[in-house]
Amino acid sequence: MSESNSTNVSTRSWRDIPQQVKPRTMGREGKKRLVLGFGNIVGVLLLVAASAWGVYELVHLWDTNPTRITSPTKGVPVRDFTVRTDGVLDKAWVQRTLDLAKSASLMELDLIKLKGRLEESGQVSKAVIERRFPDILVVTLQERTPVARIMARIGDASPVVFVISRDGMVYSGFGYNVEMTEALPFIDGVKLVREGAGFSRIDGMDVVADLLGTAQVDAPLLYRSFKVVSLARFGLDRTLIVKSSEVEVITFGSSQDSFYKQLARLDYIIAETRRQNAPGQLKSVNLSLGVKQVPISFEPPTPVNEPKRGSGLNFFRTAAPTSTPSFFAPSRNTSPSKREF
Amino acid sequence: MSSRTKFIGAVEIGTSKVSVLIGELSQGSLHIIGVGECQSRGVIKGAVVDFRAASEATHTALMAAEQKAGTRIDEVYLAQTGGHLEGFYNEASVNVSSADNLVSAPDIDTVCRLAKAKKLPDGRLVVHHLRRPFRLDGRNVPDPEHLVGQRLEAGYWTVHGVESMIAAQLHVIRGFNVRVAELILSSLASGAMLATAEEKQNGVLVIDVGAGTTDFVLYRDGCAQITGVVPVAGSHLTNDLSLGLRVTDGQAEKLKLRFGRGTVTTKDRNEKVWLNGDFAIGDRQFSRHSIEQITAARTTELFEVVRKKLGPAFSPEKTAAGIILTGGTANLPGLDEAAARVFGVQVRLGEAPSWVTENLRDPSFTSVLGLLHYGISSRTELSAPRRRSRTPGWVQKLFASA
Repeated sequence: MSESNSTNVSTRSWRDIPQQVKPRTMGREGKKRLVLGFGNIVGVLLLVAASAWGVYELVHLWDTNPTRITSPTKGVPVRDFTVRTDGVLDKAWVQRTLDLAKSASLMELDLIKLKGRLEESGQVSKAVIERRFPDILVVTLQERTPVARIMARIGDASPVVFVISRDGMVYSGFGYNVEMTEALPFIDGVKLVREGAGFSRIDGMDVVADLLGTAQVDAPLLYRSFKVVSLARFGLDRTLIVKSSEVEVITFGSSQDSFYKQLARLDYIIAETRRQNAPGQLKSVNLSLGVKQVPISFEPPTPVNEPKRGSGLNFFRTAAPTSTPSFFAPSRNTSPSKREF
Repeated sequence: MSSRTKFIGAVEIGTSKVSVLIGELSQGSLHIIGVGECQSRGVIKGAVVDFRAASEATHTALMAAEQKAGTRIDEVYLAQTGGHLEGFYNEASVNVSSADNLVSAPDIDTVCRLAKAKKLPDGRLVVHHLRRPFRLDGRNVPDPEHLVGQRLEAGYWTVHGVESMIAAQLHVIRGFNVRVAELILSSLASGAMLATAEEKQNGVLVIDVGAGTTDFVLYRDGCAQITGVVPVAGSHLTNDLSLGLRVTDGQAEKLKLRFGRGTVTTKDRNEKVWLNGDFAIGDRQFSRHSIEQITAARTTELFEVVRKKLGPAFSPEKTAAGIILTGGTANLPGLDEAAARVFGVQVRLGEAPSWVTENLRDPSFTSVLGLLHYGISSRTELSAPRRRSRTPGWVQKLFASA
């Protein structure tokens, strides 16, 4: 064939044979496959339609009344609580505080509101509430630890003892050991301000907590003698005034020296006073001035045949301690020469 | 080609049996995962004469293969054979259009279109256009693009068949509600499976002797030059034995399988063989020499018909790689000797490649294995330059099944 020949001759191919077949001419297996094929299409179309309808309903519900989204699970009430805590609160307290209705369902609960209810008590610093389907509420608590007590009167009611945590939170305190709470010193020199159902936080409690914590660990006898810690001058010169059974007024400075050294000095002074048979009881010890000066004063001696020993004011200069019966110096600082009293 | 997994069914609706293989095509690699066979009914010499019977047999084989594979076929590659298939060669030439005589893609397109543009008689359809090597100024070139020359020639061997017969086979498959993706000549499928590229380059004739038809393809210069179908094959040997020995077709088939040969080797004319060998009533003795004589005569005649059909296109000198025999009847002893006598070249029985499992190594599976091989490689070539369809595969599959 040459180039001059017509090029528009169309040759029909086997592919031009239509492959559509009517179902009645199909075999049994062919018909079965056809039905399955249509079934697949119908199934997929139904699935797509159902998904679209579901999405539409959900969006519509969200736009109009979001609370109804929880309605399908209304029928399952909360059956039990699981409480995890690092403190003393128990399941009964959680149940009382949350105060859930008996018919309350898991999905119906407003977890943010419940969390607020737990944290409102003051004793709980952080609460995490989880739903464990189908009907368990899991409550995880992080509790505050009390470091001091305070007496407060709400309205005309009689005064009530509250406890204060390191972060200054004032709260009633539940489930604590009575001996432990009664051993806590009182806080003085602060003005409590009502805030909501409780009180506003007290500034400087972290410093108080440091002092009391150091005393509790390193000088437990001194700690037990502390009765009141006053924050009256904390705002002025950051000093803490402690009233104890041993010394009427002890002034601790929070900015110059560590509480550990100040407590060691106090311990030495008390011991030395006893050793020298001081004429009166120690009235005041001021540890806030640093290592050079520790002004102390004594109660006036009883006038019965006792010779007068100068004024009531005296200054202790550096001297090596002989014994520290109530102070446990750590092993890393046992050398007397290094204890800068 | 799509990267998703596709399950392809290779179907050969033969005169004696219907064979189905299921190939799992994934990432360009093919794994055969299912085989189905069924005795053929309603098919004579490769043509469907009883649609219902042929459909039942084919669907049974398809179902068996699907059950073994545990999956459903996505599409089918169908083997095509039958006496209605014919071929002709047509060529065209064009002058290279560019001023610098550099052959361009439009030149190639034009010459190919011209070579394929020959009107077929009414009622006939093209099954294959098999291109021979391009010729540029008289020399063979595999790809003329960007070569310099003045005259470009292309030639196609066009295989065509009767529309109604092709449609009948397609509808048998469509009756199973699976689309026919490729229609492949049985001889090409066998050739693709058995002949190496080197043999095709040197010249090789592949003859697939089935039950109802004998398909052949002659390769030279790396391309299929001539294909053909002869409606004479194994069933004729059976028929001749039946007539010659006056036995039933079933008995003749048994004798053929047990004692038939492509050449006569038994010298003793008095040597007898038993029909059944069970000494039961009705068991008879036949001369072994007679059986061999009948089968050998028919075998020789079969190869002579093939040689006559090939005409001058075949010459021993240009068929250096010889002849490869395959198909169910190739199991007949001495068939290779008979072919060698007729064609005058070396003959060997086709052997499936090493990756083919033992149960598929029989010559009767060659063409159905070749269907997968040829179909996938030809589709890869065709689809390579095309853009990948953006329609997701599962959507196509979903709607194709309905």
